[in-house]
Amino acid sequence: MRQEKLHVIAGSVFAISDAQGDMEVDPQEPVGLFAFDTRFLSHWVLSIDGERINALSRDDMTYAETRFFLVPGAASHYVDADVSIIRHRSIHDCFHEKITVLNHSAQPADFTVRVEMGSDFTDIAELGLRQRAVEVTADSANNQLVLRYQRDRFVRQTTVRSTEPAEVDEGGMTYRIRVPAEGQWQTDLHVTMTMGGEDGQDVRDHLESHQRAVRTGMREDLADWMDRAPQLVAERRGLEEMYRGSLADLAALRYRPLSYDERVPVAGLPWRMWLCGRHSIITCLQTMAFTPELAPATLRMLALMQGGHLDDDIDEEPGKILAHLRYGESGAFGDRANALYYGSADTTPLFVVLLDEYERWSGDADLVRELRHPARMALDWIDEYGDLTGDGYVRYQRRNERDGVINQVWKDSPEAITDANGRQPALPRATCEVQGYAYDAKMRGARLAREFWGDPAYADRLEREAAALKERFNRDFWLPHQEYYALALDPYGEPVDALSSNIGHLLWSGIVADDRAEAVAEHLVGSRLFGGWGVRTFATGQRPYNPMGAHLGAVWPSDNALIAAGLRRYGFDAQAATIAAAILDMAQTLGGAVPEMIAGHERRLTKYPVQLPAAGRPQAWSSGALLMLLSTMLGLRPTGDNLLVNPAVPAGFGRLELLDIPGRWGHSDAYARDRNTAHRARPRVR
Amino acid sequence: MRTTAEQYLRQVDAGRRPDLPETTAGTLRLDVRGDGCTDHWYLTISDQRIHVTRAADDADLVVRADRSVVDQMVNGELHPGAALLRNELTVQGNIQLLMLLRRVFPGPAGARHPRELGRAALARRGRGAAATGEARP
Repeated sequence: MRQEKLHVIAGSVFAISDAQGDMEVDPQEPVGLFAFDTRFLSHWVLSIDGERINALSRDDMTYAETRFFLVPGAASHYVDADVSIIRHRSIHDCFHEKITVLNHSAQPADFTVRVEMGSDFTDIAELGLRQRAVEVTADSANNQLVLRYQRDRFVRQTTVRSTEPAEVDEGGMTYRIRVPAEGQWQTDLHVTMTMGGEDGQDVRDHLESHQRAVRTGMREDLADWMDRAPQLVAERRGLEEMYRGSLADLAALRYRPLSYDERVPVAGLPWRMWLCGRHSIITCLQTMAFTPELAPATLRMLALMQGGHLDDDIDEEPGKILAHLRYGESGAFGDRANALYYGSADTTPLFVVLLDEYERWSGDADLVRELRHPARMALDWIDEYGDLTGDGYVRYQRRNERDGVINQVWKDSPEAITDANGRQPALPRATCEVQGYAYDAKMRGARLAREFWGDPAYADRLEREAAALKERFNRDFWLPHQEYYALALDPYGEPVDALSSNIGHLLWSGIVADDRAEAVAEHLVGSRLFGGWGVRTFATGQRPYNPMGAHLGAVWPSDNALIAAGLRRYGFDAQAATIAAAILDMAQTLGGAVPEMIAGHERRLTKYPVQLPAAGRPQAWSSGALLMLLSTMLGLRPTGDNLLVNPAVPAGFGRLELLDIPGRWGHSDAYARDRNTAHRARPRVR
Repeated sequence: MRTTAEQYLRQVDAGRRPDLPETTAGTLRLDVRGDGCTDHWYLTISDQRIHVTRAADDADLVVRADRSVVDQMVNGELHPGAALLRNELTVQGNIQLLMLLRRVFPGPAGARHPRELGRAALARRGRGAAATGEARP
């Protein structure tokens, strides 16, 4: 069993350590202190009198703050230790650790406290792949250790400062201290992380976007965030805690990009602590009823970074919305195409979907007008650059064959798009859910054009195109014998016949013909796709199925949240409730942050959700999924200036209330009850 | 023949540029460092137009880089975002205007339209069918 890893997070700045708070290089996992996709500390180990320390307990105060209670020595003989240590760690733009040594004996005691410090300045995208020459300056006079890496003008620097006098050497700091009887000793270690800009100062110092940022305390910030979100009152035990936990995870996973003054969601720990277009958009869509402030910030940021040219290296086209934005060394130098990258077939239509959805909830017509140009460019992209073979479907094929993404859709692992026999189609590929998003984008774009852009002719055109796409799609993707939609079409229009969770997204987008919706719904809750803990990405009984394959059998909460919403859109309330209950059960059984995915094993077989080592948590779109499922159970939908509530709550959930839902109506409340309890005569308490 | 920064900036089209958002406006000064002297280019952006003059006045965003770096950017060989990350280009002020430079400067030469890949795939199929004598509907 691997040792538990602990993290503190402040957006894209985060630290991962072991349970003692020590950080040591692990070739498999990103351990250390990271900021802007670079590791600024790879080694951070505390010892006392030459002995490593052991954790007695821990207090995770907020996502950005943890206290470790420690004693020297191995677990077997610490019982009567007369010294203990408190390590109080917090993270913001900087990393901060207060070390307190407590002497519990009646005599003064001498100790040697040492903190080993080091950094490899690795780019998180290439962990362990490259050695870097790090310049170390030990400065005992100023109680300071400086670690610095430079490549041409690219500079990354870690500065550790101690408030107490320390003997500083190239490997860390040593304190030789005397602690009075029943007394204590303390030092503060401040770690600043510098991205070299002009004159060696941090680049952020020169940016208005970062000067304007008000530095409120993380605790107040979190309290405000929780206050702004609606309050959940749930009869079902544990649900309120899960709700508040998910809100806190979403707060932790916000960061302020260099070019921007508001915070947007990063994808999640540990591998994607940066802006991913798809994750950010889906997270905003999921959390519209709860934390709507994420959406305008994300829309503006993505508009700012919208593609402007054809560029093969970064798979960019005019109007295309970003796949991701990173700040690591490998991307900056073009060693990998991963600084700015546009290889994504779905972010562009989803951008339009988000803009329209946000207006429906918020009534923010000004934003729709402000973003007319980028939205129009995104809509133009669908037909001009998205349609690679001229048959009216959005397809993808990377132009950067060195390290571009092969499958530029949410199922982005290289083998994810396959038929039932394991044959992968030729490129360019048109996956089904992207056609749904394109249909939805055109329908919503038409509404925006008519109501806000004063362009009814364009609105009519978009609606005609959407209707034609829906008709064409229902002809070409439908597999009449299997009664579901093909996962994809190959470039020649041949369907890829796999049964996959993607068909649920089609309901969410509204592209499914009414007379086919029931067959789709039944597949989604049928035994091949539904395993008891949610809908699998890929159905059993097909050759590539693997319960542990991320996109070939595993269960993703984010996927399931969209599917449940789609089922309700077409009126399949019971099926939606089944899925919502399964995911909430799974999340509650595991406890903690909702994982990115779990294995697709049958619930009856394993009784307990099987976790996958590759699954990250917290993940913005997993925490967001939990919120979206609540919204779906309550049936929240803006209609004009009102919030419509149309509950379909799974059996056993009892009473459910969501209070102070923000939106164009001001604040509104939603009350619901599951069917069982609704029809049951309840004993009166008073 | 490569264009120099000066040649490029002297002949920036002052006409309407439909690829610029109509809501974007601001001033950007580009300081091009050469041998012992710095050239100041002043770009005023409004109503989807860019007006270029030579002036050292204050601007919403000041961008500084060596001439060789700017030369690479005006030839589509270097993305302004990558140059910023490498610290070969430094900025002061409203960085949101930096992405405009991406639109002002050309993209890389020889970049393909995605449809070229689509056409190539369809052509491969045609050739494959001809070679094996298959007939597809």
